[in-house]
Amino acid sequence: MSVISVKNLKKYYKVHQKEPGLLGSIKSLFNRKYYDVKAVDGVNFEIGEGELVGFIGPNGAGKTTTLKVLSGLLYPTSGDVSVLGYTPWDRKPVFQKQFSLVMGQKNQLWWDLPAIESFILNKEIYEVSNDKYEATLNELVDLLDVKEVLKVQVRKLSLGQRMKMELIAALIHNPKILFLDEPTIGLDVVMQKKMRDFIKEYNRRYNATIVLTSHYMDDVKELCKRVIIIDKGKVLFDGALDEIIKKFANHKLLTVVFSKEVSEKELKKIGEIKEFEMPRATISVLRDKVSSSASRLLESFPVADLNIEEPKIEDIIREVFTGRDFA
Amino acid sequence: MKKYLTIFGLSFQNEFTYRLNFILWRFRNVLRILMTYFLWNMVYTQNNMVFGFSKEQMMTYVFMVLVFMSFVVAAPSIENIGSEISNGDLSNFLVKPINYLYYWLVRDWASKLLNTLFVVLEIGLLWLVFKPQFVLPPNLLIGVISILVLILAALLYYLFTKLAVFTAFWAPENTWGMMFLILVMLEVLSGATFPLDVLPSNLFNFLQFTPFPYLVYFPVAIWIGKFDLVFALRILVQSLIWVGILYVLVIKLWHKGLKEYSAVGK
Repeated sequence: MSVISVKNLKKYYKVHQKEPGLLGSIKSLFNRKYYDVKAVDGVNFEIGEGELVGFIGPNGAGKTTTLKVLSGLLYPTSGDVSVLGYTPWDRKPVFQKQFSLVMGQKNQLWWDLPAIESFILNKEIYEVSNDKYEATLNELVDLLDVKEVLKVQVRKLSLGQRMKMELIAALIHNPKILFLDEPTIGLDVVMQKKMRDFIKEYNRRYNATIVLTSHYMDDVKELCKRVIIIDKGKVLFDGALDEIIKKFANHKLLTVVFSKEVSEKELKKIGEIKEFEMPRATISVLRDKVSSSASRLLESFPVADLNIEEPKIEDIIREVFTGRDFA
Repeated sequence: MKKYLTIFGLSFQNEFTYRLNFILWRFRNVLRILMTYFLWNMVYTQNNMVFGFSKEQMMTYVFMVLVFMSFVVAAPSIENIGSEISNGDLSNFLVKPINYLYYWLVRDWASKLLNTLFVVLEIGLLWLVFKPQFVLPPNLLIGVISILVLILAALLYYLFTKLAVFTAFWAPENTWGMMFLILVMLEVLSGATFPLDVLPSNLFNFLQFTPFPYLVYFPVAIWIGKFDLVFALRILVQSLIWVGILYVLVIKLWHKGLKEYSAVGK
């Protein structure tokens, strides 16, 4: 059963163009030129209960816009969207009580008051019973280890502590669906790891459906079995993380360590040299030529060590986005 | 609704966060009260009647304006809604089962009550020191009508300013221009600076067809007994009609704006 279903979703923004300079500003007062930005352009996907899905794509790809449509902030230009059987932009309270949106760069906590006050407010807004609130709060506070700072003014907290508090505020009503937009942005490596562990645990413990966007490949690699790659408003890929390699990487990497000096010119005959610094070289060869290339290497060069590897996911994705042809 | 009570409580706490700021704000207010007192005291050393107001009536008018204004215009919503729309913080509210317009209405009322409480205290102190003569409403009924019109005035002000701040949906960050215009018009046309009777009578009559005099002039003028019961009741009904008209307009504009809203800022 899918809890999120998106069919042919389109969201176009009208943006006006302004010519540079003061004259341009005056002109734009009277005569504005508009053009459409196709933020999301015909996106389809289904997400099942308990899935943890990562949206990846460069800035402006349409990830965040998609999340905003899913949480009912934006009205789409066209297309059908159903989340838990509701149309998000109707913003029905029954629907709103079942999901949460966390934006890494937006805070909902009251800046001048301790975080606990915001939690109490959210308890009332979401109409959570006292017992349930106490239980959820204690559990989250334990998991995130923020007991000592609950009563400290939000503005005095560190970014990491604040992000944890934001998460608690977003989870106090125990949402079934969680949209996370850049949840680890600006956090240090240790904090990022803690955040990831928490997201994973939340998904496991409550069988919550989680959709997250992130710029950090590590977030996605560690958390999501399934990824949806979006670029220029279209879905480029939807499937398991390791499928990306099969789909997009038509080459493998041979890493060789030589025992003696070799000529770069000779080496080029094997494949495309990615790195070459004696005694180590990395050569990219076509997938179906891997074994023949490897044996030629072993025959014609003084090889001390040889490794055949899949290219890194980061590299593949980067190449996908820079528009290289993989056919 | 309990959620709105909680918001009310938090707003109160929030106002007290910055003690120094709070004290300075009150100090500024006391200065204003003293200035107003001395100014009108001077004016009445020469004359017994000014603009058809006796000294007691005028003193009451200007001080009631201070009290009533503190109630009507204390509205943090004005500063915040425009920027929340422009920078996308509005998103935090739109995803929750809460009504944004009620949320800010409640926050405004917390601020109003706090502000009015202190203004009444401050003017009370002043009264103890200078013992000026104040006029009370001619009878209880007139007094009650005056307070009802005042409450409607606060609602009217809330709705009226929303028309300006919601322009942020179409022209982000331009809301201050609109707000400034409205605040200046309000200052003059609502009777906050002087009783509207001072104006030429055709201008005064024209103003009665706008919402402005309902914001300050009418509630205060009813209080000091300028009108008879029938006229006071008429103003009460007209205030209600204005609230109704503006409510419909605000809701329309809000829904139109939400279609335009792009939840910027990631």
